[in-house]
Amino acid sequence: MDIGRLDPDWAWAAYQPSADVPWDRRAAAHLYRRAGFAATPAQLNAAIKLDPLQLIRQLVNGRSEDQDFLQLMQAMVDSMIATGNAGNLAPAWLYRMAETEDQVREKVTLFWHGHFATGAEKVEDPVLMQAQNDMLRSHALGSFRSMVQGISRDAAMLVYLDSVSNRKTHPNENYARELMELFCLGEGQYTETDIRELARCFTGWEIKNRQFRFNRYQHDFGSKTILGATEEFSGEQAIDLVLSQPAAAEFLVTKMVRFFLFDEPRAPRPLIEPLIKQLRDDDFQLAGTIERMLSSNIFFSPLARARKIRSPVELVVGLLRCLEISTDMNALAEDIRDIGQGLYYPPNVKGWDGGRSWINSSTLLGRANLVFRLLENEKTRFATQSLQQHLQDMGVDKLESAAEWLAEHLLAVPLSEQRRAALIETASASKGPRLERLLHSMTALPEFQLS
Amino acid sequence: MNKNRRDFLVQGLATTSLVSFGAAAPNFLQQAALAAEDGKTQRVLLVVQLSGGNDGLNTVVPYKQPIYRQARPTLAVPAADVLSISDELGLHPALGGLNDLLDDNQLAIIQGVGYPNPNRSHFESMDIWHSCQRKTEVREQGWLGRYLEASLPAAEGAMPGLHLGREKQPLALRSRRVQVPSVQSLDQFRLLTGGQDSSGKSLESLASRKPESRDDLLDFVADSTRSAVAASRQLAEAARGKASGVTYPETALASKLQVVASLIDSPLMTRIFYVTLDGFDTHARQQGAHASLLGQLNGAMAAFASDLRARDQADRVLTLCFSEFGRRLKENASEGTDHGAAAPLLLIGPAVRAGLHGELPSLEDLDQGDLKYHTDFRSVYSTVLENWLQSKSRPVLGADFQPLPLLDV
Repeated sequence: MDIGRLDPDWAWAAYQPSADVPWDRRAAAHLYRRAGFAATPAQLNAAIKLDPLQLIRQLVNGRSEDQDFLQLMQAMVDSMIATGNAGNLAPAWLYRMAETEDQVREKVTLFWHGHFATGAEKVEDPVLMQAQNDMLRSHALGSFRSMVQGISRDAAMLVYLDSVSNRKTHPNENYARELMELFCLGEGQYTETDIRELARCFTGWEIKNRQFRFNRYQHDFGSKTILGATEEFSGEQAIDLVLSQPAAAEFLVTKMVRFFLFDEPRAPRPLIEPLIKQLRDDDFQLAGTIERMLSSNIFFSPLARARKIRSPVELVVGLLRCLEISTDMNALAEDIRDIGQGLYYPPNVKGWDGGRSWINSSTLLGRANLVFRLLENEKTRFATQSLQQHLQDMGVDKLESAAEWLAEHLLAVPLSEQRRAALIETASASKGPRLERLLHSMTALPEFQLS
Repeated sequence: MNKNRRDFLVQGLATTSLVSFGAAAPNFLQQAALAAEDGKTQRVLLVVQLSGGNDGLNTVVPYKQPIYRQARPTLAVPAADVLSISDELGLHPALGGLNDLLDDNQLAIIQGVGYPNPNRSHFESMDIWHSCQRKTEVREQGWLGRYLEASLPAAEGAMPGLHLGREKQPLALRSRRVQVPSVQSLDQFRLLTGGQDSSGKSLESLASRKPESRDDLLDFVADSTRSAVAASRQLAEAARGKASGVTYPETALASKLQVVASLIDSPLMTRIFYVTLDGFDTHARQQGAHASLLGQLNGAMAAFASDLRARDQADRVLTLCFSEFGRRLKENASEGTDHGAAAPLLLIGPAVRAGLHGELPSLEDLDQGDLKYHTDFRSVYSTVLENWLQSKSRPVLGADFQPLPLLDV
């Protein structure tokens, strides 16, 4: 399949199961890995009995978190905040990713965390970091327009990009630059003068008592010329002006296609034209475009299958969900940070580059070692039991069938016969518990890194 | 490089890679010992990247210029504090160790380094420094990656370059064929297996085996896995070398340089080491933060130089220290500075022609408030490639850049 010659209308048309592209456990597992963090075995069983398009609509638009869950999450977050250390927020979010029924919204929230990357090493205050996280979640599948307005007044972001000290006499360009370069338009879609003028619009945007405050005495009410337009733009108006640029929808769609469909190659403009048009027609309401991406022909085609490198969070939360693992989330959060995806601690304002940049010698060894430590941790349970008991409940009792079952649930790439034999051999030769060794060995394979 | 040495290198590397991947691997140490003499005569380049845009004007300070003081009412380094290096210029007071290196003829300061049409985005400008290409070109390889690919035979596991740090691998090191490992710390850089040695070996070989499929993404992960396993074995052996007794400051950068020094003094044939120091994006309250960063750089570099001397390895090593851009002359309202353009670049080591090279760019004739460059960074790269690494610069840089008289080699 040649991406350059793909018919865009076919690519984004609704997927219809066929003999070539059947709606089976493999397809459902692909959907759940991308739309969320992976399916539990029970979800896979249920999914293949449903109409895929209805299922996707439900996944994107349905809300299933009940009061008990929300209260539990609130209590967990509150206790983490009480420590005063933003470093303790990550375990609570990981728990939410692993346990929430609203998988798509949580996955998209992670996308926005990387997009509007804000680092706790500078912000420090866990209250502000969590407030931003909640804000991103509330807009995750809503309006991008509202989200940009929200993030521009978000206290954590104001601290992170120095907007707090953006005063009339000496505008600070940091936020204005990233608003155009990283959040809305992409590099090269504006001039240095646009940045300087845009910075003036955000002068006087401050924080008081952890809340946004507009300080009219520090705001520059004068006329500004931005992206060819001249007016006495306020910050809010300037955001609308930026989002009215033709580059905005293309920038966002390109990034979402890479996040949900494939790391490589970069989607050619003609291919994504229908999505760009939809996002514009929807006035930057996100749900429709995301639903269309997930229910498309191209999403279920070989161009998107196993064409993403798992991020550390995806890898770990996916493993937790597939095997219904409960464990020490604190240890896990720390290990995830070590292999390159510290939640609340993105590497810089550009967020995580994703794709091949997840992979290097350290992170590869680190990924395998993370799984090793997870399996060694005495708190680790599989649906409250041992791995052996759990697999027995799944109808698996031999090493051979375990290899098959695990491969079906954990790998996006079919496992070859030789590979499976080698895995079983390694596990048999091991001194330790064989099923655990088998599972660990499988996660050390290059195949496991793909989603 | 003469022909015999090249042949020896090819052989050495080929055997090394066999050793790393063979099912019944003979002792790596033996091979390392064979390669030792060769490994320890090669020249080494260390790149120290200052991420975020180092304020060049407060690093090499034009402390006598009134215009500098006017533009920086809160941030100008007081004339009494600078470490004077000429009638016009002085080093930031935190750079005492570098000042000593200058006195010892080991520091070259190249002023006004930059490139045409400067880009003030961190990411874009850094990519330009790493790849020597603009955004309109396909940027998949870095300048050091291209150098390694051109100068070394394809040999997996030989570890011709090494990146130490938690951040993602710098684009500068990327190439099509040569896999450069990124290592966070030597302690963590090994595969946990729990079982006996034999199960560890078999897990390593399992992970290293090439998958049957023909997917470029999967191939990439498989190649990386193989090189990770091989590099971890090699580093475990190399790190058993002796300490020199030189004390390093307790900073992350210093710890990295300590490892670099011990690896330089080992049988490894690594030619390129890459480390970064992040935090130079000082938009607000710059003074303390910047002084602390320069202090970290200074302490680490000074200890590294002593360590190399103690190990009798100093002559083999050249350090290049750069940042993606300098900062604006005029400070902002947050007692910080915004993104700028041209800035000084440092070369450190016994091979440098010590002192100041090139003029300080004018503080009056500015480009949108920023210093104009007069020396293209690619001329510095060309100097390093041609005169230090003895490699043709044109294929690496994509154009001819005349080497500058910066080194005595």
